[in-house]
Amino acid sequence: MYGPSHAPAACCIWRTRVSRRSSMRRSDPLHVLLVGGRRWLAATAALLALTWVAGVALLALSGWFVTASALAGLGALAGLNIFTPAAGIRAAALLRTVARYGERVVGHEAVLRRLAELRCDAFERIASLPPVAQRRLRSGDWQTRLVADIDTLDAVPLRVIAPTLAALASTGFAAALAGWLAGWTAATLVIGVAVAVLCAAMFAGRAGRRCGEALVAGRARERIALLDHVDGMAELAVYGRLDASRATLAELARTHSRRLDGQSAVAALAEHAVQALVGLGTLAMLALALSAHVDGSISGPVAVLLALMVLGLGEALASLPGAGWRLGESLAAAARLDFGGAVLADDVQPRGDAGAAITARALVVGFDARRPLWHGLDLDLEPGVPLLVCGPSGSGKSALLATLAGELDPLAGQVRIGDRALAECGASDVALLAQDTVLLDASVFANLRLARPDVDAHEASRLLLAVGLDEFADGGTRGLRTRVGEGAANLSGGQARRVLLAWLLLRDPALALLDEPFSGLDEAARERAMSALEPWLVRRCAVIATHEPECFPAHWPRIERR
Amino acid sequence: MPATDITERARLAQLLGPAGRGQQAGRAASVAVGLAVVAQAAAIALAIDATVFRGEFPAGWIWLLAIGAVMLRFACAVVRETVALCAARAVRDDVRERLRRRMDALGPHALAREGGAAWAARYHNDVDALSAWPARYAPARDAACIVPPLVLFAAASQDVFAAFLLAASAPLILAFMVLTGLRSARVHARQQHEQGRMEAHFLDRLRALDLIRRSGALQRSAREVFAAADRYRQMSMRVLRVAFLSSAVMELFSAIAIGLVAIHVGFALLGGGDTPGITPFAGLFVLLLAPEFFAPLRAFAQGWHDRAGALSAARALATAIDGMRVAPAAAPPAPRGDALLVADALSVSPAADAPSVVEAVALRVSSGEIVVLTGASGAGKSTLLAVCAGFIAPRAGRLERVADIAWLAQAGHLFHGTLRDNLRLAAPDADDARLGEALAAAGLAVDDSALPDGLDTAIGEGRRGLSGGQAQRVALARAWLSGARLWLLDEPTRGLDDETAEALWSSLMTMARERGAGLLVATHDVRAIARAGRVLHLANARLEEVVDAPV
Repeated sequence: MYGPSHAPAACCIWRTRVSRRSSMRRSDPLHVLLVGGRRWLAATAALLALTWVAGVALLALSGWFVTASALAGLGALAGLNIFTPAAGIRAAALLRTVARYGERVVGHEAVLRRLAELRCDAFERIASLPPVAQRRLRSGDWQTRLVADIDTLDAVPLRVIAPTLAALASTGFAAALAGWLAGWTAATLVIGVAVAVLCAAMFAGRAGRRCGEALVAGRARERIALLDHVDGMAELAVYGRLDASRATLAELARTHSRRLDGQSAVAALAEHAVQALVGLGTLAMLALALSAHVDGSISGPVAVLLALMVLGLGEALASLPGAGWRLGESLAAAARLDFGGAVLADDVQPRGDAGAAITARALVVGFDARRPLWHGLDLDLEPGVPLLVCGPSGSGKSALLATLAGELDPLAGQVRIGDRALAECGASDVALLAQDTVLLDASVFANLRLARPDVDAHEASRLLLAVGLDEFADGGTRGLRTRVGEGAANLSGGQARRVLLAWLLLRDPALALLDEPFSGLDEAARERAMSALEPWLVRRCAVIATHEPECFPAHWPRIERR
Repeated sequence: MPATDITERARLAQLLGPAGRGQQAGRAASVAVGLAVVAQAAAIALAIDATVFRGEFPAGWIWLLAIGAVMLRFACAVVRETVALCAARAVRDDVRERLRRRMDALGPHALAREGGAAWAARYHNDVDALSAWPARYAPARDAACIVPPLVLFAAASQDVFAAFLLAASAPLILAFMVLTGLRSARVHARQQHEQGRMEAHFLDRLRALDLIRRSGALQRSAREVFAAADRYRQMSMRVLRVAFLSSAVMELFSAIAIGLVAIHVGFALLGGGDTPGITPFAGLFVLLLAPEFFAPLRAFAQGWHDRAGALSAARALATAIDGMRVAPAAAPPAPRGDALLVADALSVSPAADAPSVVEAVALRVSSGEIVVLTGASGAGKSTLLAVCAGFIAPRAGRLERVADIAWLAQAGHLFHGTLRDNLRLAAPDADDARLGEALAAAGLAVDDSALPDGLDTAIGEGRRGLSGGQAQRVALARAWLSGARLWLLDEPTRGLDDETAEALWSSLMTMARERGAGLLVATHDVRAIARAGRVLHLANARLEEVVDAPV
């Protein structure tokens, strides 16, 4: 539902990267999940099968032993070796415990390993999308769903695949034993019980998936209605719509409750139906084995062993409806997480051609071909002479910078950096200081190191002092290790802006693009930042979008927009 | 049990009230399940006894008993489940209704402190966690109290020592379960905390993707995302390896108990045992009952973390439902004459148990008048405005106000839907031409590039595609459409850049003048103060008229 895989035309820089790399990964998230973790998954399934087989053995062997002992006590069975089966029972009890513990530890290790890889994979896939498509993924709702989908998906090995494999293995073991002891009819009966349970599981899975999809969609609608009700309550109250909104909310809650009941009822029915199927299967095996015993083809203890074996198999088969159930959910989550192949641009390596000239020819800029914001723009930028683009907000300044940065495809025309087309350039050639101030929720130092991983505390402090952030420089009141906080909440708007200015100064691009660089700064801070920025700006080509051209030297050329 | 636990239980009982009615039926069904379990074991043991030890194929009634027991067990289990689901539904619906009532009682002013996301988490996640108590935990607990004793009684009727073996393992299992439960509550809390940290890291890197890409650090950040998740794995596994150990011990006791019963019965039947007189039927019957003794206990243990989740949800829900006291606000009467708003000796406080932030002030807004309220942040401007809007009841004093008002806050809320839906909120009958007129008056053209589909432009969460200024213009157009005579505005230009703020103020003033509306604006913005008819300064809970407004 939120899959942005049908992204509009990819942006030049990122598209070229995609076509250049041949070792592109083209697998969906489910594939990543299963292939990467094959060994852990196999170990989990094997340990689970061992747990269940030990459970079956414990019960079946006990039944055999009790019956054989009773027959021996009555004198009907001579020469019973009582110590081997008694030891077998003890061994099965111990084995079950050990296997269960191993299964839990190995299974969780497998899940958590997958979880790390799935997260990294999702990050890479999203980061490989064109920037325009990424912007649609910012909403809190979308992010909540993303995290929930990853959680759903990483439960697949432990709750779907391992139980199914282990249930099949346990059934196979029981069927083989039944066939060996009492012929193919008994084996067929064991398989028949498993198939009946599998059918019930598939039925439950199908019904559950339908309910589940409606539930997820309904839950999303309900959440939206609730957010609108709470966050928009002032408007609702003032414009007389509060009662209608409350009624909608109550109605959605009722619908959701009804759907949830439906889903839970199907799940419960499936679980108990499996128990009943296993009970009836046990009785059928009992009837079969006892008739065989009356015919004289098998002994009494073996007849008991066969019936109790089917009863013990119930534990393994009971896991199937849940597995079928989750499979549907997981497939849907995997489809939503499939953002296409992940190909990340290489990390920045300084190229050292900061002196190149920039040219743009017949550039048409805009989000929509019917309404271009710039038409037939020609630019010739020389290092040392920053260009100011002035005009009110909404006049297309930011769109022009995004196009020059390669984040927005031009509607027509082209841009060249030196002798290379913009499409062949990357993050090392262009630096964009965007209008919105976004920082990592990490230390000030970590944010600066994004721009250059090898920057040391001394250099970082020097730059922070230069832009007027004395408090974050080493020896300042708060220091380099100050945590920025979520949404830069621990910093004032002006501080956050200046951290980004310091970040910019660490870059060494051929083309610098600055969108309202001093927004949120007062006069004094602006002057200090400008004196730090100016020597850096004149070493390269630069375009600065601003509605306050008076903050910049009067001799810098400018384009006025109305 | 510590005192906190007792109040916790009281809180839970209060929230789970509606679940009580069906519980007796659920318990009755559990008793029937227990009887069916015993009957099933007896039938199978009888069938084996007849064939193996007496050489006759089991009579028809034995098979009927066996099949009947299986079906009865199925039917009763379904009944028990249905009863539990109904109880869960009753609890869910009741708590959600209480939350809805609570939200309305708190009103927009108090709700804004926490925001919609916090309430959505309560309304969905916490209520779900709470309803796991009646849906899963309570039935498992009842079954664990009812079925094992029945099984034990049936086993004791045939072989006392085997019953003793089972009974002796039960306290050990329960002891370990409590230990595991106590531990798992702590483990669970720590896990959740660590998981939250890892998720926050992941989402933060997604949010900052633009910055990371522009820094050319995508691959480094991908490695960091992996490393954070991997640290979480290592931490989790250290804890889980120990936590699983206690559940393994429980498993061991039940497996060993079944094995011991089998070996004891076997040796007794062999003749040399310490319990002479045991029959083959009794031996088989007891053996078949042994796993049924442990199954409900195991289910109960698994339901233990539903219990922990429900308890912590109950804590959050009870705090939300019984938290801050609020006085219900009634619609104020209309003033006489051309006054739109008249307040006299008005005292206001944000909550019923909070001190007054504004004491005994007088306030009057007439048609066409622009009144600006200034004052330091936290001085109570917003609270005073919320009382004027009728979101909070005044603490004392007289308030008269016209019924038709428009509201514009710092970030006017845009609803999920189209632009048309958002505008029609204030004027359900307005046609497209009028909506376009309203947008134009607010300074936003219908063919603006920010509105790719005109009035059909979808506006989602986070005002998709609209800047802060554009969103405020939509809210302004909405106020214009409402035709209200009194406009209340709370910091309408905070967070906007100078240029946008200037444009918004001029649209706002033009619109108000056209309509002849009276404006009461809480703001620091000098541009508003310059345009005001009167400026009132709020300090130390008093309003004072500013004669020389600073321009």
